Amino acid sequence: MPSLLGNIFKSWSDYSKGNEEGGFHKYEHMYAMAIDLNKCTGCNACSTACYAENNLAWVGEERFGARQAMNWMRVERYFDEPNIGNETSDSLDHGASFLPMMCQHCSAAPCEPVCPVAATYHTVDGLNAQIYNRCIGSRYCANNCPIRVRNFNFYDNAQTAWPAPMDQGLNPDITVRSKGVMEKCTFCIQRIRGASDTAKREGREIQDGDIQTACQQTCPTSAITFGDLLDETSKISKAWKRQQVELGVYKQNKENPEMRGYRVYEELNIDTKVLYLERVREV
Amino acid sequence: MSADRPQHKSFPWIRTFIGAAVLGALIVLGAQVFENQLHPVKAGETPPPRVPGAVFPTDTFDGKDVQQPINYSHKLHAGDLGINCLYCHTYARRSRVAGIPPTAKCMGCHTVVAEDKPEIQKLTAMWKKGESPAWNKVNDLPDFVHFSHERHLQKFLLNNEDMNIKDSPDVCAMCHGDMNTVGVAKKMKPLTMGFCVTCHEKNNGPADCTRCHK
Repeated sequence: MPSLLGNIFKSWSDYSKGNEEGGFHKYEHMYAMAIDLNKCTGCNACSTACYAENNLAWVGEERFGARQAMNWMRVERYFDEPNIGNETSDSLDHGASFLPMMCQHCSAAPCEPVCPVAATYHTVDGLNAQIYNRCIGSRYCANNCPIRVRNFNFYDNAQTAWPAPMDQGLNPDITVRSKGVMEKCTFCIQRIRGASDTAKREGREIQDGDIQTACQQTCPTSAITFGDLLDETSKISKAWKRQQVELGVYKQNKENPEMRGYRVYEELNIDTKVLYLERVREV
Repeated sequence: MSADRPQHKSFPWIRTFIGAAVLGALIVLGAQVFENQLHPVKAGETPPPRVPGAVFPTDTFDGKDVQQPINYSHKLHAGDLGINCLYCHTYARRSRVAGIPPTAKCMGCHTVVAEDKPEIQKLTAMWKKGESPAWNKVNDLPDFVHFSHERHLQKFLLNNEDMNIKDSPDVCAMCHGDMNTVGVAKKMKPLTMGFCVTCHEKNNGPADCTRCHK
Protein backbone atom coordinates (compact mmCIF):
# COMPACT_ATOMS: atom_id res chain seq x y z
CA MET A 1 0.00 0.00 0.00
CA PRO A 2 2.20 2.87 -1.22
CA SER A 3 0.19 5.67 0.31
CA LEU A 4 0.29 7.95 3.27
CA LEU A 5 -1.91 5.62 5.32
CA GLY A 6 0.29 2.69 4.34
CA ASN A 7 3.37 4.61 5.40
CA ILE A 8 1.75 5.42 8.75
CA PHE A 9 0.97 1.75 9.38
CA LYS A 10 4.44 0.69 8.26
CA SER A 11 6.27 3.15 10.48
CA TRP A 12 3.94 2.24 13.31
CA SER A 13 4.66 -1.45 13.04
CA ASP A 14 8.40 -0.77 12.61
CA TYR A 15 8.33 1.41 15.68
CA SER A 16 6.45 -1.07 17.84
CA LYS A 17 8.67 -3.91 16.64
CA GLY A 18 11.80 -1.90 17.44
CA ASN A 19 10.37 -1.12 20.84
CA GLU A 20 9.75 -4.81 21.59
CA GLU A 21 13.15 -5.92 20.38
CA GLY A 22 14.99 -3.17 22.22
CA GLY A 23 16.05 -0.85 19.46
CA PHE A 24 16.88 -0.64 15.82
CA HIS A 25 18.63 -3.69 14.45
CA LYS A 26 18.74 -3.27 10.71
CA TYR A 27 22.29 -1.95 10.60
CA GLU A 28 24.10 -2.67 7.36
CA HIS A 29 27.48 -1.82 8.85
CA MET A 30 28.65 -0.81 12.27
CA TYR A 31 31.75 1.28 11.84
CA ALA A 32 33.92 1.44 14.92
CA MET A 33 37.42 2.33 15.94
CA ALA A 34 40.09 1.09 18.30
CA ILE A 35 42.94 3.25 19.58
CA ASP A 36 45.91 1.71 21.33
CA LEU A 37 47.13 4.29 23.83
CA ASN A 38 50.27 2.25 24.37
CA LYS A 39 51.27 3.12 20.84
CA CYS A 40 50.11 6.73 20.94
CA THR A 41 52.98 9.19 21.25
CA GLY A 42 50.80 12.29 21.32
CA CYS A 43 52.31 13.68 18.14
CA ASN A 44 49.04 15.28 16.95
CA ALA A 45 49.49 13.98 13.41
CA CYS A 46 45.95 12.55 13.49
CA SER A 47 44.55 15.96 14.34
CA THR A 48 46.55 17.59 11.55
CA ALA A 49 45.42 14.97 9.06
CA CYS A 50 41.84 15.63 10.08
CA TYR A 51 42.30 19.34 9.41
CA ALA A 52 43.59 18.58 5.92
CA GLU A 53 41.05 15.90 5.04
CA ASN A 54 37.87 17.49 6.34
CA ASN A 55 38.41 21.16 5.41
CA LEU A 56 38.61 22.23 9.03
CA ALA A 57 39.11 25.95 9.43
CA TRP A 58 41.94 27.18 11.57
CA VAL A 59 40.69 29.99 13.69
CA GLY A 60 43.73 31.62 15.26
CA GLU A 61 45.05 31.70 18.79
CA GLU A 62 42.45 34.01 20.26
CA ARG A 63 39.43 32.03 19.13
CA PHE A 64 41.18 28.79 20.00
CA GLY A 65 41.54 30.10 23.55
CA ALA A 66 37.84 30.99 23.55
CA ARG A 67 37.07 27.32 22.80
CA GLN A 68 35.94 28.11 19.28
CA ALA A 69 38.50 25.85 17.64
CA MET A 70 37.33 23.60 14.86
CA ASN A 71 39.37 20.56 15.77
CA TRP A 72 37.27 17.47 15.18
CA MET A 73 40.00 15.43 16.80
CA ARG A 74 41.99 16.63 19.76
CA VAL A 75 44.76 14.91 21.65
CA GLU A 76 44.05 15.24 25.35
CA ARG A 77 46.94 15.28 27.77
CA TYR A 78 46.79 13.77 31.23
CA PHE A 79 49.54 14.06 33.83
CA ASP A 80 50.09 11.77 36.73
CA GLU A 81 50.06 13.41 40.11
CA PRO A 82 53.59 14.22 41.25
CA ASN A 83 55.27 12.46 44.14
CA ILE A 84 53.67 9.10 43.56
CA GLY A 85 56.18 6.55 44.71
CA ASN A 86 58.73 9.19 45.59
CA GLU A 87 57.91 11.59 48.37
CA THR A 88 60.88 13.88 47.87
CA SER A 89 60.34 14.44 44.20
CA ASP A 90 58.73 17.69 43.13
CA SER A 91 58.65 16.83 39.47
CA LEU A 92 56.50 14.49 37.50
CA ASP A 93 57.57 10.90 37.44
CA HIS A 94 56.28 10.43 33.93
CA GLY A 95 55.49 12.58 31.00
CA ALA A 96 51.92 13.07 29.89
CA SER A 97 49.51 10.36 28.85
CA PHE A 98 47.72 11.06 25.63
CA LEU A 99 44.18 10.32 24.55
CA PRO A 100 43.03 11.18 21.04
CA MET A 101 39.42 12.23 21.42
CA MET A 102 36.91 12.59 18.63
CA CYS A 103 33.20 11.95 18.14
CA GLN A 104 32.60 8.48 19.57
CA HIS A 105 29.56 7.83 17.34
CA CYS A 106 27.54 6.65 20.31
CA SER A 107 24.84 4.10 19.54
CA ALA A 108 22.64 5.84 22.09
CA ALA A 109 23.89 9.30 21.26
CA PRO A 110 22.72 12.06 23.62
CA CYS A 111 22.99 14.62 20.81
CA GLU A 112 20.40 12.97 18.59
CA PRO A 113 17.14 13.25 20.53
CA VAL A 114 17.71 16.92 21.42
CA CYS A 115 18.11 18.18 17.86
CA PRO A 116 14.95 20.14 17.05
CA VAL A 117 15.27 19.57 13.30
CA ALA A 118 16.72 16.05 13.26
CA ALA A 119 19.89 17.26 11.61
CA THR A 120 21.86 14.69 13.55
CA TYR A 121 20.68 11.11 13.40
CA HIS A 122 21.92 7.54 13.20
CA THR A 123 22.52 6.05 9.78
CA VAL A 124 22.21 2.40 8.85
CA ASP A 125 26.01 2.36 8.77
CA GLY A 126 25.99 2.90 12.53
CA LEU A 127 27.33 6.42 12.13
CA ASN A 128 26.16 9.47 13.99
CA ALA A 129 25.62 11.71 10.99
CA GLN A 130 25.43 15.48 10.89
CA ILE A 131 23.51 16.98 7.98
CA TYR A 132 24.88 20.50 7.59
CA ASN A 133 22.23 21.92 5.32
CA ARG A 134 19.53 20.88 7.75
CA CYS A 135 21.27 22.25 10.85
CA ILE A 136 19.83 25.50 12.20
CA GLY A 137 22.54 26.04 14.80
CA SER A 138 20.54 25.64 18.00
CA ARG A 139 23.65 24.09 19.64
CA TYR A 140 21.52 21.78 21.79
CA CYS A 141 23.55 18.82 20.58
CA ALA A 142 26.86 20.33 21.68
CA ASN A 143 25.43 21.10 25.09
CA ASN A 144 24.18 17.55 25.47
CA CYS A 145 27.40 15.92 24.34
CA PRO A 146 29.28 14.60 27.38
CA ILE A 147 32.55 14.37 25.45
CA ARG A 148 32.48 17.92 24.04
CA VAL A 149 33.42 16.98 20.52
CA ARG A 150 30.96 19.08 18.56
CA ASN A 151 32.26 22.31 17.08
CA PHE A 152 30.08 25.24 16.21
CA ASN A 153 30.88 27.71 13.45
CA PHE A 154 30.57 30.97 15.37
CA TYR A 155 32.18 32.87 12.51
CA ASP A 156 32.20 32.65 8.78
CA ASN A 157 35.47 30.77 8.87
CA ALA A 158 35.36 30.02 5.17
CA GLN A 159 36.09 33.68 4.42
CA THR A 160 39.15 33.94 6.63
CA ALA A 161 40.67 30.51 7.10
CA TRP A 162 41.86 29.88 3.58
CA PRO A 163 43.26 33.01 1.92
CA ALA A 164 44.06 32.43 -1.74
CA PRO A 165 45.71 30.27 -2.96
CA MET A 166 45.16 28.02 0.06
CA ASP A 167 41.54 27.47 -0.90
CA GLN A 168 42.85 25.41 -3.81
CA GLY A 169 43.88 22.79 -1.27
CA LEU A 170 40.37 22.16 0.02
CA ASN A 171 39.00 18.67 -0.26
CA PRO A 172 36.27 18.66 -2.92
CA ASP A 173 34.61 15.58 -1.43
CA ILE A 174 33.40 17.43 1.62
CA THR A 175 31.66 20.75 1.97
CA VAL A 176 33.03 23.89 3.60
CA ARG A 177 30.65 24.54 6.47
CA SER A 178 29.14 27.97 6.73
CA LYS A 179 28.46 30.17 9.74
CA GLY A 180 25.90 28.89 12.22
CA VAL A 181 26.36 25.20 11.54
CA MET A 182 27.44 22.49 13.93
CA GLU A 183 30.12 20.09 12.76
CA LYS A 184 31.94 17.07 14.11
CA CYS A 185 33.93 13.98 13.23
CA THR A 186 32.15 11.89 10.61
CA PHE A 187 34.51 8.88 10.64
CA CYS A 188 35.56 10.24 7.21
CA ILE A 189 32.18 9.58 5.62
CA GLN A 190 33.47 10.73 2.23
CA ARG A 191 35.95 7.86 2.30
CA ILE A 192 33.26 5.40 3.38
CA ARG A 193 31.07 6.60 0.51
CA GLY A 194 33.98 6.43 -1.91
CA ALA A 195 34.80 2.87 -0.85
CA SER A 196 31.18 1.82 -1.21
CA ASP A 197 31.04 3.37 -4.69
CA THR A 198 34.19 1.48 -5.68
CA ALA A 199 32.81 -1.74 -4.22
CA LYS A 200 29.57 -1.33 -6.15
CA ARG A 201 31.46 -0.62 -9.37
CA GLU A 202 33.39 -3.84 -8.89
CA GLY A 203 30.22 -5.69 -7.88
CA ARG A 204 31.28 -6.78 -4.41
CA GLU A 205 30.75 -5.96 -0.78
CA ILE A 206 32.99 -3.56 1.12
CA GLN A 207 35.94 -5.48 2.47
CA ASP A 208 37.93 -4.91 5.60
CA GLY A 209 40.69 -2.41 4.85
CA ASP A 210 38.84 -0.66 2.02
CA ILE A 211 38.13 2.26 4.28
CA GLN A 212 40.89 4.10 6.03
CA THR A 213 40.16 7.20 8.02
CA ALA A 214 42.53 10.14 7.66
CA CYS A 215 43.76 9.84 11.25
CA GLN A 216 44.35 6.12 10.85
CA GLN A 217 46.25 6.63 7.63
CA THR A 218 48.47 9.28 9.17
CA CYS A 219 49.18 7.72 12.57
CA PRO A 220 52.94 6.99 12.50
CA THR A 221 52.66 4.21 15.07
CA SER A 222 49.48 2.64 13.61
CA ALA A 223 47.68 3.11 16.91
CA ILE A 224 44.30 3.50 15.21
CA THR A 225 42.25 0.66 13.73
CA PHE A 226 39.02 1.26 11.87
CA GLY A 227 36.48 -1.12 10.42
CA ASP A 228 33.10 -2.77 10.44
CA LEU A 229 32.03 -4.49 13.66
CA LEU A 230 29.36 -6.55 11.89
CA ASP A 231 32.05 -8.19 9.77
CA GLU A 232 33.22 -11.06 11.96
CA THR A 233 36.59 -11.34 10.24
CA SER A 234 37.55 -7.68 10.32
CA LYS A 235 40.51 -6.48 12.35
CA ILE A 236 38.32 -4.22 14.41
CA SER A 237 35.85 -6.89 15.49
CA LYS A 238 38.77 -9.17 16.40
CA ALA A 239 40.26 -6.36 18.47
CA TRP A 240 36.97 -5.79 20.27
CA LYS A 241 36.56 -9.50 20.95
CA ARG A 242 40.13 -9.85 22.14
CA GLN A 243 39.53 -7.07 24.66
CA GLN A 244 36.12 -8.54 25.61
CA VAL A 245 34.36 -5.26 24.98
CA GLU A 246 30.87 -5.41 23.57
CA LEU A 247 28.38 -2.93 22.20
CA GLY A 248 25.19 -2.42 24.16
CA VAL A 249 26.74 -3.19 27.54
CA TYR A 250 27.26 -0.38 30.01
CA LYS A 251 29.41 -2.33 32.41
CA GLN A 252 31.78 -4.73 30.72
CA ASN A 253 32.00 -8.13 32.32
CA LYS A 254 35.67 -8.84 31.92
CA GLU A 255 36.95 -12.31 32.60
CA ASN A 256 40.57 -11.32 32.48
CA PRO A 257 41.64 -8.34 34.61
CA GLU A 258 44.65 -7.83 32.37
CA MET A 259 42.49 -6.77 29.46
CA ARG A 260 43.32 -3.19 28.53
CA GLY A 261 40.24 -2.30 26.54
CA TYR A 262 37.70 0.25 27.73
CA ARG A 263 35.32 2.79 26.34
CA VAL A 264 34.90 6.30 27.69
CA TYR A 265 31.79 7.13 29.72
CA GLU A 266 30.53 3.56 29.73
CA GLU A 267 28.59 4.30 32.89
CA LEU A 268 26.47 6.87 31.03
CA ASN A 269 25.22 4.07 28.79
CA ILE A 270 25.79 6.09 25.65
CA ASP A 271 27.37 3.05 23.99
CA THR A 272 30.38 4.65 22.35
CA LYS A 273 32.00 2.96 19.38
CA VAL A 274 35.64 3.80 20.04
CA LEU A 275 37.62 1.26 22.01
CA TYR A 276 40.65 2.58 23.87
CA LEU A 277 43.44 0.29 24.98
CA GLU A 278 44.84 1.50 28.27
CA ARG A 279 48.44 2.57 28.54
CA VAL A 280 50.63 0.28 30.59
CA ARG A 281 53.58 1.74 32.47
CA GLU A 282 56.26 0.58 34.78
CA VAL A 283 55.65 2.08 38.17
CA MET B 1 -24.58 20.05 27.26
CA SER B 2 -28.15 21.18 27.97
CA ALA B 3 -30.37 19.31 30.42
CA ASP B 4 -33.24 18.45 28.04
CA ARG B 5 -30.89 16.42 25.76
CA PRO B 6 -31.06 12.66 26.48
CA GLN B 7 -27.90 11.48 28.16
CA HIS B 8 -26.47 8.01 27.84
CA LYS B 9 -27.00 6.48 31.27
CA SER B 10 -24.00 4.24 31.76
CA PHE B 11 -21.49 6.12 29.59
CA PRO B 12 -22.15 9.86 29.45
CA TRP B 13 -19.01 10.65 27.39
CA ILE B 14 -20.06 8.47 24.46
CA ARG B 15 -20.90 11.50 22.27
CA THR B 16 -17.44 12.94 22.76
CA PHE B 17 -15.81 9.62 21.90
CA ILE B 18 -17.91 9.11 18.81
CA GLY B 19 -17.17 12.68 17.74
CA ALA B 20 -13.44 12.18 18.20
CA ALA B 21 -13.56 8.91 16.28
CA VAL B 22 -15.41 10.50 13.37
CA LEU B 23 -12.96 13.42 13.34
CA GLY B 24 -10.01 11.01 13.32
CA ALA B 25 -11.48 8.99 10.49
CA LEU B 26 -12.06 12.20 8.51
CA ILE B 27 -8.46 13.28 9.02
CA VAL B 28 -7.13 9.92 7.84
CA LEU B 29 -9.43 9.81 4.82
CA GLY B 30 -8.65 13.43 4.00
CA ALA B 31 -4.95 12.64 4.13
CA GLN B 32 -5.54 9.81 1.65
CA VAL B 33 -7.39 12.11 -0.74
CA PHE B 34 -4.70 14.76 -0.39
CA GLU B 35 -2.02 12.16 -1.03
CA ASN B 36 -3.80 11.00 -4.19
CA GLN B 37 -4.01 14.58 -5.38
CA LEU B 38 -0.31 15.07 -4.77
CA HIS B 39 0.64 11.95 -6.71
CA PRO B 40 -2.27 11.24 -9.03
CA VAL B 41 -2.44 7.73 -10.42
CA LYS B 42 -3.33 7.87 -14.08
CA ALA B 43 -4.98 4.78 -15.49
CA GLY B 44 -4.91 3.51 -19.02
CA GLU B 45 -2.71 4.85 -21.80
CA THR B 46 0.90 4.96 -20.68
CA PRO B 47 3.55 5.70 -23.31
CA PRO B 48 6.43 3.22 -23.52
CA PRO B 49 9.09 4.21 -21.00
CA ARG B 50 12.02 6.16 -22.37
CA VAL B 51 14.28 4.40 -19.93
CA PRO B 52 13.03 0.84 -19.39
CA GLY B 53 12.90 -0.15 -15.75
CA ALA B 54 12.86 3.43 -14.54
CA VAL B 55 10.31 6.13 -13.84
CA PHE B 56 11.23 9.16 -15.92
CA PRO B 57 11.07 12.45 -13.98
CA THR B 58 8.67 14.84 -15.64
CA ASP B 59 9.50 18.14 -13.91
CA THR B 60 10.95 20.84 -16.11
CA PHE B 61 12.78 24.08 -15.47
CA ASP B 62 13.24 27.07 -17.70
CA GLY B 63 16.84 28.02 -17.06
CA LYS B 64 18.50 31.24 -18.06
CA ASP B 65 20.69 31.38 -21.12
CA VAL B 66 24.30 30.98 -20.08
CA GLN B 67 26.94 32.98 -21.91
CA GLN B 68 29.73 30.75 -23.14
CA PRO B 69 33.05 31.69 -24.71
CA ILE B 70 32.09 29.68 -27.79
CA ASN B 71 28.50 29.19 -28.89
CA TYR B 72 28.66 25.41 -28.83
CA SER B 73 25.42 23.87 -30.05
CA HIS B 74 24.29 20.62 -28.46
CA LYS B 75 21.49 20.47 -31.02
CA LEU B 76 23.98 20.35 -33.89
CA HIS B 77 26.45 17.91 -32.36
CA ALA B 78 24.27 15.58 -30.32
CA GLY B 79 20.97 16.05 -32.14
CA ASP B 80 21.66 16.43 -35.85
CA LEU B 81 25.03 14.71 -36.06
CA GLY B 82 24.13 12.11 -33.45
CA ILE B 83 27.36 12.14 -31.48
CA ASN B 84 26.94 10.14 -28.29
CA CYS B 85 26.90 12.14 -25.04
CA LEU B 86 29.58 9.88 -23.63
CA TYR B 87 31.94 10.60 -26.51
CA CYS B 88 32.65 14.07 -25.13
CA HIS B 89 31.53 13.68 -21.51
CA THR B 90 33.77 10.67 -21.10
CA TYR B 91 34.07 10.71 -17.34
CA ALA B 92 30.35 10.35 -16.68
CA ARG B 93 30.60 6.57 -16.82
CA ARG B 94 33.47 6.24 -14.39
CA SER B 95 33.50 9.23 -12.09
CA ARG B 96 31.39 11.62 -10.08
CA VAL B 97 31.61 14.38 -12.68
CA ALA B 98 30.69 14.12 -16.33
CA GLY B 99 33.60 16.31 -17.35
CA ILE B 100 34.20 18.81 -20.11
CA PRO B 101 36.17 17.41 -23.05
CA PRO B 102 39.71 18.69 -23.50
CA THR B 103 40.26 21.06 -26.41
CA ALA B 104 42.26 18.31 -28.07
CA LYS B 105 39.06 16.32 -28.44
CA CYS B 106 37.33 19.23 -30.18
CA MET B 107 40.34 19.66 -32.46
CA GLY B 108 40.26 15.96 -33.30
CA CYS B 109 37.42 16.80 -35.66
CA HIS B 110 37.77 20.51 -36.13
CA THR B 111 41.20 20.46 -37.74
CA VAL B 112 39.37 19.11 -40.78
CA VAL B 113 35.69 19.94 -40.16
CA ALA B 114 34.03 23.36 -40.44
CA GLU B 115 37.27 25.29 -40.13
CA ASP B 116 35.80 28.31 -41.90
CA LYS B 117 33.13 29.07 -39.28
CA PRO B 118 33.91 32.01 -36.98
CA GLU B 119 33.29 30.07 -33.76
CA ILE B 120 35.67 27.33 -34.87
CA GLN B 121 38.25 29.95 -35.78
CA LYS B 122 37.95 31.26 -32.20
CA LEU B 123 38.53 27.71 -30.95
CA THR B 124 41.49 27.18 -33.27
CA ALA B 125 43.07 30.44 -32.11
CA MET B 126 42.73 29.28 -28.48
CA TRP B 127 44.14 25.86 -29.37
CA LYS B 128 47.17 27.43 -31.04
CA LYS B 129 47.83 29.59 -27.99
CA GLY B 130 47.52 26.50 -25.77
CA GLU B 131 44.43 27.79 -23.98
CA SER B 132 41.12 26.10 -23.33
CA PRO B 133 37.74 27.81 -23.48
CA ALA B 134 36.64 28.90 -19.99
CA TRP B 135 33.19 27.33 -20.04
CA ASN B 136 30.64 28.62 -17.56
CA LYS B 137 28.81 26.17 -15.36
CA VAL B 138 25.23 25.36 -16.34
CA ASN B 139 24.04 22.71 -13.90
CA ASP B 140 25.55 23.50 -10.52
CA LEU B 141 24.72 21.52 -7.40
CA PRO B 142 25.36 23.00 -3.96
CA ASP B 143 28.63 22.19 -2.25
CA PHE B 144 26.98 19.94 0.32
CA VAL B 145 25.54 17.52 -2.24
CA HIS B 146 27.36 14.39 -3.31
CA PHE B 147 26.18 13.35 -6.74
CA SER B 148 27.87 10.62 -8.72
CA HIS B 149 27.25 10.45 -12.47
CA GLU B 150 28.82 7.01 -12.45
CA ARG B 151 26.32 5.49 -10.00
CA HIS B 152 23.37 6.78 -11.98
CA LEU B 153 24.74 5.65 -15.34
CA GLN B 154 25.53 2.23 -13.86
CA LYS B 155 21.95 1.82 -12.75
CA PHE B 156 20.08 3.23 -15.71
CA LEU B 157 22.42 2.61 -18.65
CA LEU B 158 25.38 0.31 -18.15
CA ASN B 159 23.76 -2.32 -15.92
CA ASN B 160 20.34 -1.93 -17.53
CA GLU B 161 19.82 -4.87 -19.87
CA ASP B 162 17.15 -3.12 -21.91
CA MET B 163 19.39 -0.18 -22.68
CA ASN B 164 22.07 0.18 -25.29
CA ILE B 165 24.98 2.58 -24.91
CA LYS B 166 23.49 4.40 -27.94
CA ASP B 167 20.48 5.31 -25.79
CA SER B 168 22.57 7.46 -23.45
CA PRO B 169 20.68 10.69 -24.42
CA ASP B 170 17.53 9.22 -22.89
CA VAL B 171 19.28 8.53 -19.59
CA CYS B 172 21.01 11.91 -19.54
CA ALA B 173 17.64 13.55 -20.29
CA MET B 174 16.33 12.35 -16.93
CA CYS B 175 18.26 15.13 -15.19
CA HIS B 176 19.43 17.38 -18.03
CA GLY B 177 16.40 17.50 -20.30
CA ASP B 178 16.67 16.88 -24.02
CA MET B 179 20.02 18.45 -24.70
CA ASN B 180 19.85 17.52 -28.37
CA THR B 181 17.08 20.08 -28.86
CA VAL B 182 18.78 23.18 -27.41
CA GLY B 183 21.59 25.27 -28.81
CA VAL B 184 23.92 26.54 -26.13
CA ALA B 185 23.38 24.44 -23.03
CA LYS B 186 20.98 25.64 -20.37
CA LYS B 187 19.43 24.20 -17.25
CA MET B 188 16.24 22.34 -18.11
CA LYS B 189 15.45 20.39 -14.97
CA PRO B 190 15.06 21.93 -11.51
CA LEU B 191 17.75 19.76 -9.81
CA THR B 192 16.35 20.63 -6.40
CA MET B 193 16.25 18.26 -3.46
CA GLY B 194 12.55 17.67 -4.12
CA PHE B 195 13.34 16.69 -7.70
CA CYS B 196 16.04 14.26 -6.54
CA VAL B 197 13.99 12.75 -3.73
CA THR B 198 10.88 12.24 -5.88
CA CYS B 199 12.93 10.34 -8.43
CA HIS B 200 14.71 8.36 -5.70
CA GLU B 201 11.36 7.33 -4.22
CA LYS B 202 9.97 6.22 -7.56
CA ASN B 203 13.11 4.40 -8.65
CA ASN B 204 14.03 2.91 -5.26
CA GLY B 205 17.11 5.03 -4.81
CA PRO B 206 18.72 5.35 -1.37
CA ALA B 207 16.77 7.53 1.05
CA ASP B 208 19.41 8.01 3.74
CA CYS B 209 20.54 11.64 4.19
CA THR B 210 24.25 10.84 4.22
CA ARG B 211 24.09 9.02 0.90
CA CYS B 212 23.81 12.39 -0.83
CA HIS B 213 24.72 15.02 1.76
CA LYS B 214 28.22 15.65 2.90
